[in-house]
Amino acid sequence: MELLDAHLVPAVDGVAFGLLLFVVAAGLSLAFGTAGVLNLSHGTLYAIGAYTGAELSDGTWGGLALGLAAGTAAACVAGAGLSAATAPLARRGHLAQALLTFGLALIGGDLLIQFFGADELPVRVPEVLDSSVTLLGHRYPAYRLCFIVMAVLLAAFGTWVLTRTRMGAAVRAAADDPQMLAATGHSPRAVHTGVLAAAGALAGAAGVLGAPIIGPGPGTSENVLMLSLVVVVLGGLRSLWATFAAAVAVGEVQTLGVSVAPELAPYLLFAAMAAVLVLRSRFAEPAGAGHGSAASGPDPVARLRGRLAGLKRSSVWRDRLPRRNRAPAWLARLPGRAAWWRAAPLLVLLGVLIALPALLDAYSISLAGSALALGLLAVSVTVLTGYAGLPTLGQTAPFAVGAYATANLADAGWTMGPVQIVLSALAAAVFAAVVGPAVIRARGTTVLMITLAIGELTGAVVNQLKSVTGGADGLVGFPATQALWGGEGMLEESELYNYVLVVAVVAVALTLLVLRSPAGKLLTGTRGAEARMRASGHPVGRYLLVAHICAGALAGVGGSLMVTVQQYLSPADVGFEIAAFALLAVVIGGTTSVIGALLGAGLIVATRDWVAGSWPGHGPLLLGVLFVATVYVLPRGLAGLRGGGSGGGGQGGPPSDPTGSPGAPGAPGTSDTPRAEDQPPSAPAPTPAGKASP
Amino acid sequence: MTPTPAPTTTPPPVLALDRLTRRYGTLTAVDDVSLRLPAGARHAVIGPNGAGKTTLLNLIAGTDRPDHGTIALDGADITRKPTAKRSRLGIARSFQQPSVIAELSVLDNVVLAGWPHHPQRRGAWRRPSRHRLLKESAGRHLETVGLADLAQRPAATLSHGQRRMLDLAAALAGDPRLLLLDEPAAGLTDGDIGRLLGIIGALPSSVAVVLVEHHVEVVAELATSVTVLAAGKVLVDGPTQEVLAHPEVREAYHGTAPSTGPDDARAEAVPTACPFPTDARG
Repeated sequence: MELLDAHLVPAVDGVAFGLLLFVVAAGLSLAFGTAGVLNLSHGTLYAIGAYTGAELSDGTWGGLALGLAAGTAAACVAGAGLSAATAPLARRGHLAQALLTFGLALIGGDLLIQFFGADELPVRVPEVLDSSVTLLGHRYPAYRLCFIVMAVLLAAFGTWVLTRTRMGAAVRAAADDPQMLAATGHSPRAVHTGVLAAAGALAGAAGVLGAPIIGPGPGTSENVLMLSLVVVVLGGLRSLWATFAAAVAVGEVQTLGVSVAPELAPYLLFAAMAAVLVLRSRFAEPAGAGHGSAASGPDPVARLRGRLAGLKRSSVWRDRLPRRNRAPAWLARLPGRAAWWRAAPLLVLLGVLIALPALLDAYSISLAGSALALGLLAVSVTVLTGYAGLPTLGQTAPFAVGAYATANLADAGWTMGPVQIVLSALAAAVFAAVVGPAVIRARGTTVLMITLAIGELTGAVVNQLKSVTGGADGLVGFPATQALWGGEGMLEESELYNYVLVVAVVAVALTLLVLRSPAGKLLTGTRGAEARMRASGHPVGRYLLVAHICAGALAGVGGSLMVTVQQYLSPADVGFEIAAFALLAVVIGGTTSVIGALLGAGLIVATRDWVAGSWPGHGPLLLGVLFVATVYVLPRGLAGLRGGGSGGGGQGGPPSDPTGSPGAPGAPGTSDTPRAEDQPPSAPAPTPAGKASP
Repeated sequence: MTPTPAPTTTPPPVLALDRLTRRYGTLTAVDDVSLRLPAGARHAVIGPNGAGKTTLLNLIAGTDRPDHGTIALDGADITRKPTAKRSRLGIARSFQQPSVIAELSVLDNVVLAGWPHHPQRRGAWRRPSRHRLLKESAGRHLETVGLADLAQRPAATLSHGQRRMLDLAAALAGDPRLLLLDEPAAGLTDGDIGRLLGIIGALPSSVAVVLVEHHVEVVAELATSVTVLAAGKVLVDGPTQEVLAHPEVREAYHGTAPSTGPDDARAEAVPTACPFPTDARG
């Protein structure tokens, strides 16, 4: 009884919080489930409502009503605008939408800060409600109780519209079969706009009413977006009641969970999300599950053993074989004209990268170094997203493992670069092998959500495990890395850059060799026709797991380089933002293009840290503009710039874009090609080069 | 259930299904189906839409799992084996929707399909000699299905009929013991159907074929024995001529009861069912 008594207030808080999340998440679920829009700017719609409500709140009922009307209307208009923005992307898959809506969220966040300031706005609720009532012997804010009532009314109204009205029927029909809906005389376009406007209105109303609970501030949109994503994932898209239950559960975890078990609370949410997703993908696909259950358990070990055996055997053969047979099959056909055309952009990029230290000042060189490290992260995302067909937001997890491994190794006195790289890659690979079975079962957006959960869980561990990671303060002051044994620790930016460049070139070259070998075709086949591959006897789950492990190792190398070049490490370096940037870099690059991923990462770092240097505080705005522009201007990513019309089919849908695939016939490079390759390093060059002394 | 007439000699049947059942919720898609196929059998599974034909094929191929019953290949139980493993044991299949890897070339599609069946597949991508072997055998399969000229084209550029042929070539690439064909004639032109009949007719007699088909004509042409499914259950099975002439089959499958006497139905069933010129097989 005492325990119950002590936790009554957080429990009721949890209900209020849960209802707030329900209203927000219902909008997100509506947009995704019926309009097919993965709206990463949904949190921004909430923030629009919250800022408007806070600005207009003056402690009277009139202020609240005015705020509610204005906030809802503003978010509704924003939702309709979103509908117009996403309509041209209807055929291009969820990654393009993610790029667009994430860009819009960045722009929107920046604009909101412009208008309303960077501080949290105070919210003044009507005076009657600005008091507390007695609840079973506890003082409790009256507004929250009132909010619970309002949210229930709002939720009931929404449910009534959706299930009992003609409009709701059209919306539900649009979710099932838009063509059938069109055939009955409704315009799917109008329904699309209506749904997104309604989703915006829901988020806006929730923002106004919820402003006293989740106040308007710079972190609001991301916070709200994350929580409502969790709610939508936990609740599934099928039933409003499930969403409701999930929302209240999440609300309780965030309030009651924090007061009962503060140490566990950071993990609980995303662990629950990951568990639900993994279980669901196991039950949803009996075929995959059947295969996977045989593949996941003993798989890594068996696979490793098999690989070792294969290595042993192949080395024996090599000794016995005549020399001409030593070259791998794919090398034999490399030096053709087509191959040179294919390699040309990479060679140009390599040349530019080698020349960089002579052209730039110290700060820019170190930026270029971290761009390379992020580039490796992006390449690992390309391997998973573009080749294995597993779009991932969680590669920051092995990236973090590699980064913290290197930092701790350096702290323990292991400063030799190659040792750090190899051990970091190993640690990240082991990590990827452990989490891999949870990832490789699912497909499509489910993978995004599972990997998001993995990334967030890793972030939570990083924040909690202070003895290893330094917690939120991060790690700093560890000895500098030596490029080779016996050398001095590297301190000069250009030295560090050259070290990073050498490692990155080796890593990228290895990746390209594997991807362009028939092993790459195995992955392409798995992505393109998984059922065919299984039916032909390919252990698809095993391929995906190996790809996941290799991508993890690659990300680990990236993390190691990141630490080396930055000389410090904080949780923000491995957070959600970096994960999103890595994925968006890949989408910008054209999904299946390694060089595209590198250039995408370069573009993002250059925009965020370099161009924004001349306009301080507006990095997110510039990035947002970059993302939005890329979606429309380069439908097939940077990789689409080369060879224009040659890559038949595909229509630019992210997972099926064949342009950058190694099997594609040598694309005739157009005059666009070299310009595209130069862009990230040299386009912003004038500004810093002016400062640089030769 | 009564097994199809199989030679009761010592070698176990290539495929033995024992009381297979698969339920989806309240719907029983495959209900207590048993079947024994000797080596070289040409067996067809027919029935109206939703009779459970494709589900049965999926159960055999391993893309779906039975709730009850066992599946044995050459006498060894494979009920719990994953799809890929079954394929390596010798079960190949074609898909109702032809399944090709659009981004790879036609040749690569077949090379990939034959790869796991190469005796030393682990080294196949490192050793040029073995890679060449794979390519040569893939080329032969493409010639069989008539796509040899398109070998270097991306599979995305193929027409529906060509994709179906590529799918078939991929199924043949593993040199299977048991070939499962899911409506191979759907959407094909008459000429293509003729070629298809020729390919399947020319398969070595060691290969057993299970054919799910809507065209009674194709069934009459290819199969020596037939199982008729209705609502998941075996309605009739036996030699093709007898089954196709069976009045209950005509009623269940064609949806019309023989209006005249059974003798008329028997007389009409087979001749009308075979509109293809017999020389199309060549």
